[in-house]
Amino acid sequence: MHSKDDIYRFEQLFLPHLNAAHNLARWLTNSDSIAQDIVQESCLRAFKSLHRFAGGNARAWLLTIVRNQSYTWLKQTADMRYYVDVDDEVAMDDKDRMALAHSDTPEALATRTEDRKRLQNALDALPITFREVIVLKELEEMSYKEIAVVTEVPIGTVMSRLARGRAMLKEKLLANDE
Amino acid sequence: MMNKIDCNECRGWLHAYLDNELDTELSLHIAGHLVHCAACTQCYDEITILAASVKKSIPYYDAPAALTKNIMSNIHLQITPATSIWQTLNNVARNWLVPSFSVAVLTVALLLYVAAPSHEDSFVDEAVSDHIRSLMGEHLNDVISSDKHTVKPWFAGKLDFAPPVYDFSTKGYALLGGRLEYLQHQTAAALSYKHNKHIINAFILPTTDADTASHSLSKRGYNIVFWRQNHMQFIVVSDLNKVELEDLVRDIQNSK
Repeated sequence: MHSKDDIYRFEQLFLPHLNAAHNLARWLTNSDSIAQDIVQESCLRAFKSLHRFAGGNARAWLLTIVRNQSYTWLKQTADMRYYVDVDDEVAMDDKDRMALAHSDTPEALATRTEDRKRLQNALDALPITFREVIVLKELEEMSYKEIAVVTEVPIGTVMSRLARGRAMLKEKLLANDE
Repeated sequence: MMNKIDCNECRGWLHAYLDNELDTELSLHIAGHLVHCAACTQCYDEITILAASVKKSIPYYDAPAALTKNIMSNIHLQITPATSIWQTLNNVARNWLVPSFSVAVLTVALLLYVAAPSHEDSFVDEAVSDHIRSLMGEHLNDVISSDKHTVKPWFAGKLDFAPPVYDFSTKGYALLGGRLEYLQHQTAAALSYKHNKHIINAFILPTTDADTASHSLSKRGYNIVFWRQNHMQFIVVSDLNKVELEDLVRDIQNSK
């Protein structure tokens, strides 16, 4: 049975991270109402398993639950956009690495990053494994180690996903308009 | 003297370098390489611009204030043992109203009248919960097909009524399939539709009540439309906006 102290502990530990939880769920599910449901459910789970939280990084702990809940929801909806299968585990080869090279038109990149809507659409269109590392890195300013905890992959994978995610983002920004 | 690194190696570490994730020695190698390599420097500048503009321009979705309130009241419920209205009334009656029994009875009657949720509220709540469950924990469809000639016969033999099944793909509301639900103490048909990225559940159950026009309301962040037609109660639930949901409702109502 939970006590008032548990509620106090929950408030201290997790309430400061509700924005982070909501932001992640919103970026993963692309729906305001679903994001709210997911945060609700995740908080309830966090509260119920409070005894298992042994101290440490409360934000990473909460975001891990939020991410799992979001994935569960995405699998239910079978939204193909989230199912893009990219074998990001394969190490970058030289060709890939040079594809991360500078573009011929640095001015174009600079201009297009100014376009908020375009940038947002480009990020929205990234496969989920890349979108989530970029959100956690740039918006939550998490370290690779924290991102590794939340996404449940090794740090090296975080690094390669982030590199590849940024490269894909750049590609999308520079792509010609349809 | 430091070992020199080549462009290939440099590119591989560039993101971690930008994110301050490298140890001092490796960072110095990269910095040293960047000083004399224009190509890698341009590459570095580009990812710097990109990372900075994402940080600056991408929306951060703060949690709405109401969400925090809901979460905390939800959590308070976890430590408050549920007291039924009967227990409460019992306590009240025992403590205060024993001498005047008739007053107690009157109070009980009044309280029950006020506290009992209306029929409408309870089925809407149930439908919203079913909708959420269908999206989160459990399966969405028992029979998966966009073909009404597959879905409709599937219900035959499972229900004691024949729910109207139509696909509106041409209008952007694709039929995904159907399943059985239990609503208002009876078996109901649930049809799922998809519009853009939104899932819509349409619950259908038989009723003896007269037809009504459609009513729209929103509850727990979902839009709900319900009406009665041809001795069927329809309840449509989705996170889709009201206008588009009502478009689907009109299509269902006009299908023959």
